[in-house]
Amino acid sequence: MASTQHVLLSPAELAYLHAALSLTPPIRPDGRAPAQFRPLVAETGILPGTNGSARICFADGTEAIVGVKAEVERTRLVDGATAGTEWKEGGSARGEGEDDDGGDKAGDSDWVELTVEIPGYRDDDAGTAFLAAMLSEALLADGAFAKRLWINRRFHWKLYLDVLLISPPLSYPLPLLSLTTHLALLATRLPRLKSEGDEDPFFDDDWAAARHLFPRSSSSTTKESARPPVTLLVMAVGNNIIFDPAKEELAVADVALAVSVAEDTTAAATTAATMDLDDAAAPAARSLRLLSIRTIDPPSRLTPPGVPNAANSAYGATTAQKQPEARTAEAEAVEGVWRAPRGGAKPLVMAALVQKVLEKGGVADEILDALDAVDLG
Amino acid sequence: MASLKRSFDGDPFAANISSKVYVRSTKSGKVQKIVREVYLRQDIPCSSRLCHGCLNTAPKDAAGQAIHFVLSDAPAGTSVFPQGHYLVPDTNALLNAMDLFEQSSAFYDVIILQIVLEELRNRSLPLYNRLIGLTKSEDKRFYVFFNEFRLETHVARLDGESVNDRNDRAVRKAVAWYAQHLARTKARKIPAVVMLSNDRDNLRKARDEGLHACSLTEYVKQLKDGDRLLDLIPETEDRDAAKDKRPGEQNLYPEYFTMSKMMTGVKSGLLHQGIFNVSPYNYLEGSIRVPAFPKALLVLGRENINRAVDGDLVVVEVLPKDQWKEPSSQVIEEEAVTKNENPDAEGNEGFVSEKERKALQEDVKRTQSKTTEGHAQPTAKIVGVVKRNWRQYVGHIDQSSVSQSGQQGRKQDSVFVIPMDKKIPKIRLRTRQVAELLGKRILVTIDAWDRGSRHPSGHFVRSLGELETKAAETEALLLEYDVQYRPFPKTVLDCLPKEGHDWKVPASIEDPGWKDREDLRDLLICSIDPIGCQDIDDALHSRPLPNGNIEVGVHIADVSHFVKPNNAMDNEASIRGTTVYLVDKRIDMLPMLLGTDLCSLKPYVERYAFSVLWEMTPDADIVGARFTKSVIKSREAFSYEQAQLRVDDGSQQDDLTRSIRTLLALSRKLRQKRMDAGALSLSSPEVKVQMESETSDPIDVKTKEHLDTMSLVEEFMLLANTSVAAKIYDAFPQTAILRRHAAPPKTNFDELSNQLKVKKGLELSVESSKALADSLDACVDNSDPFFNTLVRIMATRCMMSAEYFCSGTQAYPEFRHYGLASEIYTHFTSPIRRYADLVAHRQLAAAIDYEAVHPSVRSRGRLEAVCKNINVRHRNAQLAGRASIAYYVGQALRGKATEEDGFVMKIFSNGFVVLVPRFGIESLIRLRDLADTEPQATYDAESYTLKTTGSREVTVELFQKVRVRVTDQKDETTGKRGVKMELV
Repeated sequence: MASTQHVLLSPAELAYLHAALSLTPPIRPDGRAPAQFRPLVAETGILPGTNGSARICFADGTEAIVGVKAEVERTRLVDGATAGTEWKEGGSARGEGEDDDGGDKAGDSDWVELTVEIPGYRDDDAGTAFLAAMLSEALLADGAFAKRLWINRRFHWKLYLDVLLISPPLSYPLPLLSLTTHLALLATRLPRLKSEGDEDPFFDDDWAAARHLFPRSSSSTTKESARPPVTLLVMAVGNNIIFDPAKEELAVADVALAVSVAEDTTAAATTAATMDLDDAAAPAARSLRLLSIRTIDPPSRLTPPGVPNAANSAYGATTAQKQPEARTAEAEAVEGVWRAPRGGAKPLVMAALVQKVLEKGGVADEILDALDAVDLG
Repeated sequence: MASLKRSFDGDPFAANISSKVYVRSTKSGKVQKIVREVYLRQDIPCSSRLCHGCLNTAPKDAAGQAIHFVLSDAPAGTSVFPQGHYLVPDTNALLNAMDLFEQSSAFYDVIILQIVLEELRNRSLPLYNRLIGLTKSEDKRFYVFFNEFRLETHVARLDGESVNDRNDRAVRKAVAWYAQHLARTKARKIPAVVMLSNDRDNLRKARDEGLHACSLTEYVKQLKDGDRLLDLIPETEDRDAAKDKRPGEQNLYPEYFTMSKMMTGVKSGLLHQGIFNVSPYNYLEGSIRVPAFPKALLVLGRENINRAVDGDLVVVEVLPKDQWKEPSSQVIEEEAVTKNENPDAEGNEGFVSEKERKALQEDVKRTQSKTTEGHAQPTAKIVGVVKRNWRQYVGHIDQSSVSQSGQQGRKQDSVFVIPMDKKIPKIRLRTRQVAELLGKRILVTIDAWDRGSRHPSGHFVRSLGELETKAAETEALLLEYDVQYRPFPKTVLDCLPKEGHDWKVPASIEDPGWKDREDLRDLLICSIDPIGCQDIDDALHSRPLPNGNIEVGVHIADVSHFVKPNNAMDNEASIRGTTVYLVDKRIDMLPMLLGTDLCSLKPYVERYAFSVLWEMTPDADIVGARFTKSVIKSREAFSYEQAQLRVDDGSQQDDLTRSIRTLLALSRKLRQKRMDAGALSLSSPEVKVQMESETSDPIDVKTKEHLDTMSLVEEFMLLANTSVAAKIYDAFPQTAILRRHAAPPKTNFDELSNQLKVKKGLELSVESSKALADSLDACVDNSDPFFNTLVRIMATRCMMSAEYFCSGTQAYPEFRHYGLASEIYTHFTSPIRRYADLVAHRQLAAAIDYEAVHPSVRSRGRLEAVCKNINVRHRNAQLAGRASIAYYVGQALRGKATEEDGFVMKIFSNGFVVLVPRFGIESLIRLRDLADTEPQATYDAESYTLKTTGSREVTVELFQKVRVRVTDQKDETTGKRGVKMELV
């Protein structure tokens, strides 16, 4: 969708942009540092009827709201086994000494339903569906999120997340939507359970007693201050890694990635790394964990290539004659001439990119800190 | 970015809007967050007549009239507030002591806050309804103040504040506002605004804020008749203190399950929910009918009954098979077993007393001596109560529980109250007026039943009067059977025709009242009813048709013409459900004017009627039926006896008499047809009490005579009902109001058929009503003409009771009326005294296109609610009528002793029940009544024989005819005067 949106830039402009972004340090059109996010304004609790809601405005005028609604649903039991053991991959590897409630608590990806709405696009548009898939994938990647929706062996909460972009899609809205979703989930509260065990759930009718889906550390002394994941959009131009690209920047990206990270609450417990790339996380106040990476088809691939003056008929070259050369010229990089990127991301760039995301004091860290400051009342 | 949230700074109206957030759990299991916006206003009046400011700003009603202010400008004072005062009770005050507020000696000018009203509704619906009743009564001056919507008294919840604290604060704020507001009126005497609460914390805070606040006890003490009223304050007030006093006290009863645990269990089928019924013969035995099993589950013993009271909706768990038992064959009366308990001492004699244990031992012995296995019935224990059905109970104080000191001083004393209803356990009562209440019928309520207390505790509501005075006993009866006997309120009387008794059928045929009405005034119509009947619902006629057939008409009072759906009168009638007939009193469903005059088909005057007209062959085959609204003029109102005499007198050859003879002949044929189809002729002992005309003191008891003219009327009414049922079902397949009588489960007859087989060698076949009718006919004992009636009486008790229902709730085969052997049936013929008939009238009128269908007649939900209510009312009315007869029979026999024939109906191992047909009464004769020292007895359950040895030797068998001496005796347990029988 938005990633494949055509940007009305001439090949020459594209080439210029690409060149500027390839410099060390890169020069971004809006003057930001490579790892700098666009400034944003955020607030929560804007929709009183929801269990949690948030709204974020980026300085470029894009704006999103997310509402979270929860419903009690009966868990379908797989006969013979509890729903949990079926779901966990490699459940045996986790052993028996895991966290005490982990034994029978398990979530299911069906428990979360996420819909994305982008103005001007159908809801079954491929791009919209892809965005929704990416956002929910990040949520469900480690199963820890769905586990929070567990009420008892017979019931669970079903969460409906409605993600709405309310401005025109000026830039690829993935980071905006992800951050808004993150904030809405932080603000989400579920009625306090009064019943015990596997009884039919019975809830406190006092909303003030409702519990946060993600309890904040200030209230709970335990280390249980987990937060929902965030998905960041990162792109690389040459060897430069650029965060939160604007529309124009994305148009010249060599590679664009959506990287989902979460705070690793079980840093001590994860003896066996379930994810290969997890080793970058250092045991610190906040350790980050990589949940998923998706490559995004950058619009740069679809841009028409620039033509070197030598091959340009306007500059006297005879196209009919030079036709075969023109093709080869396209394959070679000519300084100052736009050429759409070909091929996948380079492994080295990928590694650097992931490293950069997870690094302590890095972008993800910074964003999580920033969102911490938002009043969840 | 501007925030999307409502800002409270810039907006001048922001203060007028608030919101309320809560979680709503629906029945289907949904859990929703609900946000309600609250728009605050300043024109909600204080409703005090002292205040002129409010009067000017208060909203006017639709007619532009200012609303009527409620609170008096000169309210009563107390010793502490001589300047007069308004009361503001909090929720707990109302929950605990609603009876206080209903007193007529005090508690006037009460401000009910909206928040309190809402809380009360959530906590207790019956109390809420009583409070609403109070706010409607004009002389009590209760005013509902919408404090949550008034800007000044609205309270926003603070962070971390509990709902209760917030509500308490709202109450205090309202009290403070009222005090300030009234101070501004500059009246000479400004009444104090007094908060009533039993919450110590709330009282303290109120006093800190400088408000007037009293606990209930403190307040009542300020009143003139405070001592009397103090008894109305329930125990719970100082329960906290009491708990501290006795920390070591152990809990006697198991704890109840949590509500969610019970509901989960019920849903998954592990627990069962049902209404708890106590056996009338044994207070330690109860039964619960649950949908999962065909037969009721037994609940035996105090611990298993676990504080449930008859009528409560409870959840039970089935006990393991080794604990299954047979229902007790013993009579165990609470009074006899727990005679000398001391109401003050709790728990020190063990939970199950020695005597109770002994009574149970008997049971065990008997069960184990049984060789035949499989007689044991599944038993269950109660694990929780879903809904208490406690009401107010009529009873009297147990003389023996009164300590010596209590008889004199005015110290608070604990006594036991023995309810009139034997199924209700005795209630511990604390009162200061023991001496006055002894020997009185009193009304009490149960407040609580703690785990640590053997008996429920309650408080005194009011005294009905001396035991055995007619007024007290009648009122007691009406209260026990929940009969609405208050006079009709003004709103109901306003619905009556303005002309009153002068109302007449309009003379002009052009009048709208005549629209679509047939003029049947020239028909020879007459009515036949019991002597002295004033509310004549039905009249009949017959006339020969030219084709040799006969036209028969049943004309029913057109009540639906006067009672329009959904007005106050209709609502009142739907609540009352039925007219209740007591021996000396009738409690009407509709106001007298309608029942005994305008609707009543009195002779010689024109009346509106709803007529059913059939064409019948002389063999009573129906050729066609027609329904129409009509105007009739009854020629004569006969009593059954008069009509019978007239028919039997051959010299009477006028048209009217001949038409009655035709009807009689037809009715015999109809009856025969019905019998052939398998209708049952059932029986219940019915008697009539003869009263002295002046004093209406009962002088004699007579069994009712049966006359042919009675079955004449009955047959045609049955026919009319059946025809109408078919018609309205045809018109409204989903919502027709019908009456069904379910076929009794075969197991109901197990006991009786076994008894008949063992004792008389008779077979009872119960496959169908026809088979049953035939085998009942065959149950004859040549030596004893009454035997057949006895069996019919006992068979009747095995049946289900008939019920009203809405046709959409049952499948067509379930419509069947078992007793009448009719496929479909309804009640149509007595709209003056039964609400169901009134609904049937409206439906029939709509079915024949006489009038449009009113929504209330079409709404299935509403009709189901109506059916449910009238089924209960109907049953209560019957019970009340019977109890009234029983009381008067007792009174008629007072001081007399007669010897009568009786029949043994039921045998226990320590007594037996004898029915005396002459008086229609049955009574228990215990072994210990047989002789001064209780004789030894052996009970053979196989052959239903009880043999006594020792001080007196008799052998009593089931169905045996015995000679008994009937005397009157005041029953110490219930305080009722009843009959006492002695074996001669």
